[in-house]
Amino acid sequence: MAAPTELSVPGGLEPAIIVPPPAAAGRLGRLRALGGIWLPAFLVAAILFLCFLWPLIGPVSQPTGGTILNANLPSFSSGHLLGTDSTGNDEWSRLLYGGRASLEVAMAVTALGLVIGGLLGAFAGYVGGWRDSVIMRILDVLIAFPSLVLAVAIAERLGPGEVHAIWALSFFSVPAFARIARAATLRVREQNFIVAARLSGSGYLRTLLRHVAPNIFPELITFGLLGIGITVVLEGALSFLGLGIPAPAPSWGNMIAQGEGILSAQPKFVMLPSAALFITTVSFNLLGESLRARWSDR
Amino acid sequence: MSSVASAPLPAPRAGERAGALARLAASPMLRFLARRILVAIPVLWGVTFLTFVVINHLPGNAAQQLLGINATKVEVHQLSAKLGLDKPLLTRYGDWLHGLVTGSLGHSLASGQSVTSILGSDLPITFELLAFAFIISLGLAVPIALLAARRPYGVFDRLSMVLSMAGLSIANYILALVLVYFFAVNLNWLPALGWVPPGKSLGGNIKTLTLPAVSIAVSLLCFYTRLLRADLVQQLRSQDYVTTARAKGVGPWRIILHHVLRNSVFGLITAVALNLGTLLGVTVIIEQIFGLPGIGHELLSAINSRDIPVVEGAVFVFGLLVVLANLLADLLYATLDPRVKYGSAD
Amino acid sequence: MAADHPDELASPRVAPAGPSRIERPPGGRCRRWSMAVACVCVILSVAACGGSSKTSSSGGSGGSGASTATSSSSSAPAGPAKPGGSLTVLESSGYAGDWPTGLDPATNVNGAADQSQMNAIFGQLWELQANGHLTPDLATGYTFSNGGKTVSIKLRPGAKFSDGTPFNAAAVVFNWKRDLASPCTCKPIIEVGAISAPSPNTVKLDLKVPDGAFIDQLQDSNFSWIASPTALKKMGAKAFKLKPVGAGPFTVGSDTLSNTLVLKKNPNYWQKGRPFLDQLTFKTTSGDETALEAMQSGQGDAYEGMSTLQLVNSFKSKFNVVAEPSTSPYDIQLNTKIPPFNDKRARLAIYYATDTQLLDQKLFNNQYKVVQGFTAPGGLFYSPTVPGYPTYNLAKAKALVKQLGGLNINFFTITQPATHDMMVAMQQMWKQAGINASIHFYSLASLIQQFQGKWQIAFQTAGAWDPAGGVGLAFRFTSTSPFSGVHDPKLDKLILGASAPVDPAARKQLYDQAAAYIAQNAYGPFMFPISNYNIAIHGVQGPGLTTPIPSVAVNPEVLWEEVSKS
Repeated sequence: MAAPTELSVPGGLEPAIIVPPPAAAGRLGRLRALGGIWLPAFLVAAILFLCFLWPLIGPVSQPTGGTILNANLPSFSSGHLLGTDSTGNDEWSRLLYGGRASLEVAMAVTALGLVIGGLLGAFAGYVGGWRDSVIMRILDVLIAFPSLVLAVAIAERLGPGEVHAIWALSFFSVPAFARIARAATLRVREQNFIVAARLSGSGYLRTLLRHVAPNIFPELITFGLLGIGITVVLEGALSFLGLGIPAPAPSWGNMIAQGEGILSAQPKFVMLPSAALFITTVSFNLLGESLRARWSDR
Repeated sequence: MSSVASAPLPAPRAGERAGALARLAASPMLRFLARRILVAIPVLWGVTFLTFVVINHLPGNAAQQLLGINATKVEVHQLSAKLGLDKPLLTRYGDWLHGLVTGSLGHSLASGQSVTSILGSDLPITFELLAFAFIISLGLAVPIALLAARRPYGVFDRLSMVLSMAGLSIANYILALVLVYFFAVNLNWLPALGWVPPGKSLGGNIKTLTLPAVSIAVSLLCFYTRLLRADLVQQLRSQDYVTTARAKGVGPWRIILHHVLRNSVFGLITAVALNLGTLLGVTVIIEQIFGLPGIGHELLSAINSRDIPVVEGAVFVFGLLVVLANLLADLLYATLDPRVKYGSAD
Repeated sequence: MAADHPDELASPRVAPAGPSRIERPPGGRCRRWSMAVACVCVILSVAACGGSSKTSSSGGSGGSGASTATSSSSSAPAGPAKPGGSLTVLESSGYAGDWPTGLDPATNVNGAADQSQMNAIFGQLWELQANGHLTPDLATGYTFSNGGKTVSIKLRPGAKFSDGTPFNAAAVVFNWKRDLASPCTCKPIIEVGAISAPSPNTVKLDLKVPDGAFIDQLQDSNFSWIASPTALKKMGAKAFKLKPVGAGPFTVGSDTLSNTLVLKKNPNYWQKGRPFLDQLTFKTTSGDETALEAMQSGQGDAYEGMSTLQLVNSFKSKFNVVAEPSTSPYDIQLNTKIPPFNDKRARLAIYYATDTQLLDQKLFNNQYKVVQGFTAPGGLFYSPTVPGYPTYNLAKAKALVKQLGGLNINFFTITQPATHDMMVAMQQMWKQAGINASIHFYSLASLIQQFQGKWQIAFQTAGAWDPAGGVGLAFRFTSTSPFSGVHDPKLDKLILGASAPVDPAARKQLYDQAAAYIAQNAYGPFMFPISNYNIAIHGVQGPGLTTPIPSVAVNPEVLWEEVSKS
């Protein structure tokens, strides 16, 4: 249940969190605006590099399969920058691989939401009428459906795992994107060029794909970046409850869950993955927001 | 359990927003309301039915969970029959629906207590937690947004925007753990778990709810601050009445407080309404972390013991609140933005 | 947190509770999902046929005045106990902190897990003391006759339920018959012929097979908890389970299921001057870490069943910490019915590839005693070594795996923080012998399903204070149990036979034979028993809480009437 929640918050009101761009963009303003995009873009690139590429090319050991002979080494031990966990696995490599798992889930969930939810929402908003009602009611059911029930069902029935976590979370990203797409479509629907296209006899599908989609796409993709940030958090919540990616394979959520049981004795096992998750979310959110600001500027 | 028909109740409350209320009362609005309530019924039906089906397809049933691993097949069978679990799924769902219509949510399979009484003891805790979180977040968001909007892109504004972005990005469960680590474990200022009924000790009650409420409130606070600040800035910049007021020599604070804020507050209320429904989800994880015996905790343990009547009851209440909150949000949104017509917003 | 034992399946220990223990992966505080687990365990508790009690207590005497062993022998070291005060005890959810079906002995499926609450409200027939002796509580003595097939139990004369009605043989007969008729798996699994009350203070029980372990098996079973029949009839079962009436040291003040139970001193308690405390409150927390935080902020005075090794020092720095004598070893269950473990070479490979000593050293600082059978230092019939037990030998393991052409297995246990590291460490260790194990953690419901299918190898606990009780031996090793990997009539006979004799020496001999037989056939390696800790703030004292008492299954029975706070 943590899930639908946050996902749908921005859903309804997404424009609100965006800060309008500075009024008069002087030279200074332009520089700032550049920093506003390049800093988070750099962070996102660095995170993606570290989680996806660096384990392939760098001296990163496997995140599982260590030996208990190396158990519980402190940070800055030789060969183990952040030390090892209670079964002798390198904490730094667990952070990287954990991030990879978390980001894979987040990106897949966002992509599914973007494509399926985006199309559904745009269609519903564009055609209106009973079709709109039916689609939106079904999505309402999904939004109101307690994600916890679904997550338990998926974890117990199919077994916990990365693919199943993607499934569970997509149930909530699809309606969230659909709402955004529908709202955006409602806004553009009455604009002159769309009305013109419709009047000139262009078909539903054609108008939708040629005229509506390009107009709402920037908004959707921006929300997609925000969505990745949100989904990383949600995946963490799932894994935290034992319903996401199963141990011993690392994910930030299950690392936090594991560390939580010994929080007062060894806070680093909670603080490190928490910090990684936080930095990632901030980076994606900032990037999404500054892109949003740029587009709405135009 | 309030029925669906009570839906419109929460919507209009205070009388200050006279202009908007008048619009609300106009008849297309009423028609819109009635339609929304009608369509809410299938949504609730869908949610409860889906839940029923899903829980039924989990491994094990309440009888197995009650009897434990060592139970023989015969024992599980007997108890299943006694609990009525051997009847076909549709029959059982029908019975549950019938109970709902006649005002009964059934009894827990595990403890035999009535679901209404279980929810009756859990909901106030969850509501108190949420109310506390809303008070903290709104109480801080409004002054911060006002200060920020007073000088857009000033130091305070930029600082608050950066901090609020950070706050928006922190997961509530992480925040909860960090708060526990510092304020409960290290500083020992606030308790890390439990709940004291306000009747027993109001101070104790507030103390036990502080960390969980703050864990929820921080992201809300940041969200509301950004929302309100953006709206204020936009109005200050673009609205004719602001220009007029300025021209008349009205002071900047007076413009913000008396004119702009009054208009912006509707957007905020819309956001709060939307959050209300979705926040119930957050409470599951927060109640777990802080050991609060609220509805989220109840739902989790009921799912585990396959206690279908309790799960259904909780899901129904959740669903009802989400539907009501969305309805409220739509209403407010529609009222605010004349471009969205009632006809198209259903 | 009750326990770390993977045992969840079976015994009460199973449900160890931590916060989230059950389904949540290792971790903290989320409540364990499945309270179910607890139930499960409980079930087992008084398991099948019995053993002989080696009850050393006074066989039949123990009359009234003899505030027998109970009181004195156990009082804690800190000087004379002071009456009064109130104590808040934290229990972890998913185990002792869950009582979802109320506290009526006939219907509380969590029975053994909730032993603390049950004992405080109902008292017991016998109490297990330090050194593993049973001493009379509401019973005063017993005799076996008819070759171990008939037990006569004497009850304490003059004892009363807290509602003022007499505690007598009629009440016990009423309760036992009611327990047996209830579908609750919390009842003892015994073959009862007839139950009768030949005199107001004597209960006679005819068994269908000899059961010398019967008295031992009463510990933690609902036969030990006698409810007031009058109160039960007056209130009705539904109300009774929320506010039960017994003859124990405390009465129920208020009860919020699986959350808070407030108990008050019972003025009608049979033993003068007891209990010391005016009020005893049980409060559910989600696990060890949470309990630590709660105790630090003054929200709890004691905590039962702490099992997170990394937190021991944090607890020790501020509180009184007692390691409880361990009774139940970890074991690796092998399914001997299907490949690969229907082949003795594969079973031996697991024995040879498992360096138990290293696991103990690296994961538990050598804190536990490595064993070779199902008995443990804190329990009855302990044998430190077992003849013919195959010990760690990597070269032999490698050779066997090579002979077999490799060994790929599915290794599973219940989701629980404590088992996680053990599973991962064994997986790493076996890899060196060429054994590829994929590891899985299941919730209770899914775990049950595993056992119904083609499972291969599981990590569990087996054993109890008396091997005839608890979850233990019969549950894991006899062909009648659905959770056994072994189906060998000869072993069945040894294990079931070992609970029959009234003479403890005869029982020990049979258990030694059973352990040797398991080792010879390589039916499953044993590792070490893990013990939990009981924690109390300074100034609190009481047997079981601040002095060690062996655990019947998971946690020791705290003698609440003796607990005091200064």
